[in-house]
Amino acid sequence: MPEVLARAQRLSYAYPDRPRPALRDVSFELCPGSFTVLAGISGSGKSTLLRALCGLVPHFHGGEVAGELEVGAMSVRDHGPGELAAVCGTVFQDPETQVVMGGVRAELALALEHRGAGPAAVARAVEEVALSLGVAHLLDRRTDTLSGGELQRVAVAAALVHRPALLLLDEPTSQLDPVAGDELMWLLRRLNEEWGTAVVIADHRLERCLPAADRVLAMEDGAVVCDSDPVSFLEWAQDGPLSTPVARLFSLAGLGPLPTTVKDARERLRGAGLAPPAPDGAGVPAGRRERRGRRSGPPPAAEAHGLWFEIEGGPTALRGLDLRIAPGEKVALMGRNGAGKSTLLRQFKGLAEPTRGRVETDGEVALLLQNPGDYLVHDHACEEAGAGALAAAGLEGRGEANPRDLSGGERQRLALEVVLGAGPCALVCLDEPTRGMDSASTIALVNRIDGLAAEGAAVIVATHDTEFAAAFAGRIVLMGEGVVIADGSPAEVLAGGWHFSTDVARVLGGAAGALTPEAGAAVLTKELVT
Amino acid sequence: MRRGFVPVYRVRDSPLHTARAGATAALCAALALTCAVHAHPLILLGVVLAVVGAGCAAGVGAEVARAARLSLPLALLVALINPLLYAEGETLLVRGGTFLGRRFDVTLEALAAGGLAGLRVGAFLMVFGLFSACVDPDEMLRVFRRFSYRSALTASLATRLVPVLARDALRMSDAARCRPEPPGRLAVARATLSGALDRAVDVAAALEVRGYSAAGRPRSAHAPWSRHDLSVAASAVLIATVAVAGRVAAVGDVVEYPAFEMALGPAEVALTVVLVLGAALPFAGHAARLGVARA
Repeated sequence: MPEVLARAQRLSYAYPDRPRPALRDVSFELCPGSFTVLAGISGSGKSTLLRALCGLVPHFHGGEVAGELEVGAMSVRDHGPGELAAVCGTVFQDPETQVVMGGVRAELALALEHRGAGPAAVARAVEEVALSLGVAHLLDRRTDTLSGGELQRVAVAAALVHRPALLLLDEPTSQLDPVAGDELMWLLRRLNEEWGTAVVIADHRLERCLPAADRVLAMEDGAVVCDSDPVSFLEWAQDGPLSTPVARLFSLAGLGPLPTTVKDARERLRGAGLAPPAPDGAGVPAGRRERRGRRSGPPPAAEAHGLWFEIEGGPTALRGLDLRIAPGEKVALMGRNGAGKSTLLRQFKGLAEPTRGRVETDGEVALLLQNPGDYLVHDHACEEAGAGALAAAGLEGRGEANPRDLSGGERQRLALEVVLGAGPCALVCLDEPTRGMDSASTIALVNRIDGLAAEGAAVIVATHDTEFAAAFAGRIVLMGEGVVIADGSPAEVLAGGWHFSTDVARVLGGAAGALTPEAGAAVLTKELVT
Repeated sequence: MRRGFVPVYRVRDSPLHTARAGATAALCAALALTCAVHAHPLILLGVVLAVVGAGCAAGVGAEVARAARLSLPLALLVALINPLLYAEGETLLVRGGTFLGRRFDVTLEALAAGGLAGLRVGAFLMVFGLFSACVDPDEMLRVFRRFSYRSALTASLATRLVPVLARDALRMSDAARCRPEPPGRLAVARATLSGALDRAVDVAAALEVRGYSAAGRPRSAHAPWSRHDLSVAASAVLIATVAVAGRVAAVGDVVEYPAFEMALGPAEVALTVVLVLGAALPFAGHAARLGVARA
């Protein structure tokens, strides 16, 4: 194996018909066995760099290349993705479009069959990779019966079946729920540590990736602006959009050095004499609290009475659910996959009829489903929404742009304005709006939600993202098995949770109900003063 | 979960699923061949019975029933159109008028021939349903890849992506319902098509990074024949042989025009019974073994 697995020297690249280069003077070296995180906001060039490393740039996408990039001692200019695939495995964002075959076993065998491996070698490699990556129990399953997390694990196994020295992953967790995302990260860490596979991963959830990483390449506008270890990167990114919640907590409290993990943070606090309370087993989180007080107030924006939804030939998604949402209230609807969150939002919008019970709303309901691109059906943004809506989406002067060319955050803002329409809404429902979004887009969404609530609309957001929920919500409704299992303020529900908790709450052990870096820093500063 | 209306393959522990794809496909081909060479209703009903029996024994009765439901409108259409288009036959049932210089009479013979054609279409589609539910498409495509690697892979992709694109279309339709002013169907259809093209580009990229462009012809595997392979293949050979031999010996002859005539004797009954028993052959030992295992 060469000492340097990949080497870029002043690499620049522009996509066809795009005047601005997607990569500018990028230089770096990747060593075997390294774990590198590519950090950067949307459009910074992370995906393009990964596509260059696997040869899709320029062989698949075309465009103009300057400088040099070698992977496994092969120049990317002269060797296409088919040849580079011998050295690197690649996993993309959407698991649906990278799984090709109907069965998992055939899927894992495909890459080796492409290389003309014999049946015995294929069978052995498939068994080994399936056992190593914990997908052996899926071998005889059909790919259309797998969950997103299972599909993504199969995609990783398929990328690794021929034992490449380098694994490239482009936002592999963005379409997964947090549990599946964490499992995938553990898997990558094990691969890196036990097999010595070099990993390069681009992801917006840096707090999830940094604990495994030994190097961070931060990108901005196509250029590498920071190349360092995770701790130095966090110092560099201090309070910027690439900072993690735990690092921001320390930074705001004036503590240092900045930690990369929750465990690090707790130990450093303990070292500074600011010991957070240890889990004592008595902190069972609060269950559902009846909100009777609200019933005497103004008429609700939306109310569900004894709502049942039984899927024909499938599970029961909602089981007699009761929920009342007041005008101007900002509610985060949380719970694991299959808890009934999306189903409830569809009931509010009237996309599905309840089996029993009823839904009442005090006016128009706007619903933004998980994939904002589904709402955008025209060739120009100005055909989707009027000038006012484009301005509200931050797209002034971009009315002629094709919605498919907008970034994920821009598409989402435009789709939200499309569903809001011209008139005011009593209820605005958003389903997983932060999936695959960078922190800048998330902050913009929080501001928009605040604006909608200030105008009197109730906003209910189904999300797995606890940091986002803590940032915008005034109330958290936790669902499980089609019913509400906890309902209270963010501090009540998230500060005492284990899975449903923010990183700051984990570091501080739920002290003073602090969930966000700002609130946590206030608690720490007070401790420091006393 | 909403089920598709086309039967799909799921791994099951039955002789038809356990046998190599080529053997089970051969059994289905033999049943289809019987439909092709025989028009006798008793023999076609025998094929239907064989398919239903094999399907139920293999645990795919619901899929075969779905294929039957799918075939019903087409079979009825064929049965109804034939008497309207063919005015041959001696037994006139309805005297129609003349339209564009052509007489439209309905005869008993054309009606019977239409019914037989409909039955044949139904039997064909049920055989296809059994094939779809019992034959692993990946394994089948591996067989074909030896002859045309890229075409087979493209077919595999199409099989895999059709349900994905159907889900995309359903999502886009839901999104359209969420807009205050839903866009026209044409706009949604165009966006769905664009989305499908985006998906296709993503899949092409995924294939590229897995070495598709450098792919060669896969090596053939010489797996030993299992007892299920042998019993299913023997059943296929038996059914195909009996069907062809019966045709050569003029068993199950049907004359539709000018007067409807149909042989119905011990030979037809015997051929039908052999068909049904032939399709049940792979399950004979399996059922006994299952009984022993349960006991």
